[in-house]
Amino acid sequence: MMTKKRNSLIVVGAALALVLPFIVSNPAHQNYLILVLMFAQIGVAWNILGGYVGQVSLGHVAFFGIGAYTSTALLISVGLSPWIGMLIGGIVAAVFGVMIGWICFRFKGHYFTMATIAVAEIIQVLFTNWEGVGGAVGLYVPMDRQGWGVMVFNSKLPYYYIALGLLCVTLLGNWAIEKSFLGYYFRAIKDEPEAARSLGVSLTAYKLVAIAISSFFTAMGGSFYAQKELFIDPGSVLVTSLSVKMSLVTILGGVGSLFGPLVGSTLLTGIEEATRQFFGGSGMGIDLIIYASIIIIVAIYYPAGVLGWIKHLLRRDAKTEGGA
Amino acid sequence: MMCMRKLRSAFAAALLLGPCFFGSAQAQQEIKIGAIYPLTGAAASTGLEMRNALELAADMINNGAKGIDMPLAAGGGLPNLGNAKIRLIFADHQGNPQVGATEAERLIMQEKVVALLGCYFSNVTSTASQMAERYGVPFLNPESSSAKLTQRRFKWFFRTTPHDDLFVHNFYEFLKDIGAKKNLKPKRIALLNENTEWGVETTKIEEKLAGELGYNIVEKIIYPAKSTQLTSEVQRLKASKADLLMQSSYLGDAILSMKTYKEQGFAPSAILANDAGFSDTEFRRTLGKDANYVLSREVWAKDLTTQNPLIKQVNDLYAQKYKTDFNGNSARSFTGLFVLADAINRAGSTAPEAIRKALSETNIPGKHLIMPWEGVKFDATGQNTLGRGIIVQIQNGEFATVWPFDIATKDIIWPMPAWDKR
Repeated sequence: MMTKKRNSLIVVGAALALVLPFIVSNPAHQNYLILVLMFAQIGVAWNILGGYVGQVSLGHVAFFGIGAYTSTALLISVGLSPWIGMLIGGIVAAVFGVMIGWICFRFKGHYFTMATIAVAEIIQVLFTNWEGVGGAVGLYVPMDRQGWGVMVFNSKLPYYYIALGLLCVTLLGNWAIEKSFLGYYFRAIKDEPEAARSLGVSLTAYKLVAIAISSFFTAMGGSFYAQKELFIDPGSVLVTSLSVKMSLVTILGGVGSLFGPLVGSTLLTGIEEATRQFFGGSGMGIDLIIYASIIIIVAIYYPAGVLGWIKHLLRRDAKTEGGA
Repeated sequence: MMCMRKLRSAFAAALLLGPCFFGSAQAQQEIKIGAIYPLTGAAASTGLEMRNALELAADMINNGAKGIDMPLAAGGGLPNLGNAKIRLIFADHQGNPQVGATEAERLIMQEKVVALLGCYFSNVTSTASQMAERYGVPFLNPESSSAKLTQRRFKWFFRTTPHDDLFVHNFYEFLKDIGAKKNLKPKRIALLNENTEWGVETTKIEEKLAGELGYNIVEKIIYPAKSTQLTSEVQRLKASKADLLMQSSYLGDAILSMKTYKEQGFAPSAILANDAGFSDTEFRRTLGKDANYVLSREVWAKDLTTQNPLIKQVNDLYAQKYKTDFNGNSARSFTGLFVLADAINRAGSTAPEAIRKALSETNIPGKHLIMPWEGVKFDATGQNTLGRGIIVQIQNGEFATVWPFDIATKDIIWPMPAWDKR
């Protein structure tokens, strides 16, 4: 019953997502939709490690930045299409993720989180001083050539569908993990690490699998960002606040659930843009106060995330229906 | 449930209050100009100063300012557009390039601004101006100094401030002038620059120009920013027997280096600093009289008010309203809006192409500016070619403009006295 309901919801949602940019025609509004999809996608990618395996990383921006820098540097230096650059960026980030994981998984809980912050900071310093990738000046994606080959467009529509496609691919990846033995292993590692180990599940090996997949998808999001904004520098693709945002959309939406990050991103981006639009120009920081208050309210009253709360409501409704 | 109600009322309040800030009274034709600045975050205080300066400029154009001899300052809006008033629409970019681009797009598409101003941070300026370029909307940048910005050869991008390369050129022009006037030519130059992009780029240009202009660089040190000690660096400087030191440092390093110079008795004829840490009020406050004689590149100084009555008048107006003097940032923002308004007025239209064309034909003489520039005139890349930096020297704990000589308020003290003879 529930799955049927869920499936029909997914179909309706997907259909809506496909036609949405034709309903919303103002490019500024389309831009918001793209931001929602983009942050949802990296949230979903973060969720693989942070949600399913329970390894809260606040250094994921390093993977995001590696993705952005790899595809952009390859595009500028050898004219490689960002489509391939995106994949290479993902692979570079996955390899890097495994290396980092090898070291950082020695730490548990909060210490792991702290270690990931440190790694991201180091990466930021490295890129700031690395002349070959523009140093602190950053890299510009050339605007003179446009079209699908170079993934540069004047219109918002292609960006919207690329973001949507990326999100779908990442969601599919997560769904496949959820359904496979990996999903069970991951949850076992999160909830009962000792029991999982006693049953022969290698904790480190599977955590490494998770970080590799997670960083791969995060890096793809980074490449997309670079193609959308056409400019990257350490201050935009390697900042800690972006790591926080990835985890925030997931935690707000629902940790460890497939669509949680999408719900979280819709909510967070919506609040962020709306409050900034109304109050940002005032220069009094009202937008950020409201933004923060809403996050605090959700965190206090709906610790399972907004999606968890919606599910809870649905279940209650179903129960009352059953009773009647 | 309780908190859901709270949430809902918060949203309702937001929706009700929103329009108050953006009330759209369309009594007279308005020229909407978008201004994207860091209004929250680490640079918020700087951002608010620039916002104040822009508001003062808009107020002068719309309502006039008595006795100020500046084009468009008579009040009553823009005469060529039926006295249309300027309306500034501010947006906060939070120091985030992605937010800068998002806000630029919103201002263009939703608020229908005719031009954009901003964004102080070079990286935000680059994404926001890219958005303007895409939509074909004029973008005027009053205060970002990364040379890269005008190298993009955008059609819609204009920058009034000199950029980092020009500032280094200014160093050598200054040396040439001082050489001609006082017959002082530094024979041994040492460079001490910090190791982030700014210091590294500066080092490159300093070296390149020294080679072209026949100056001898005897020592080149790039030190890690935020160092806790500079002893070995200063020993190297001392051993180099340099008579001129060119230095780029942020505040903490600048103070530390000065203390170490004193400790080790390193006193070249002159220390020529590259703004930043040396221009900070805290630099003079912490070092007291030990800060004297340092030369620094600047974009604006308060003593310019004694040279140009216009600068004094406008600064008085600003000080009266906001209880502080102009500084390099706010003075540049103020100038940016006047340059833009001048172009829109000459265009006589709000059509983007007309404004762009008028901007490219801008020719404002220095006497109508509150900047120490020769004027405003853009080249094909959109860079103002008449801008220049100034050199100030700390004399008795105050900044005094010592170069260019035509606007200097004090005579330069060169060489600076040795530490034990002060």
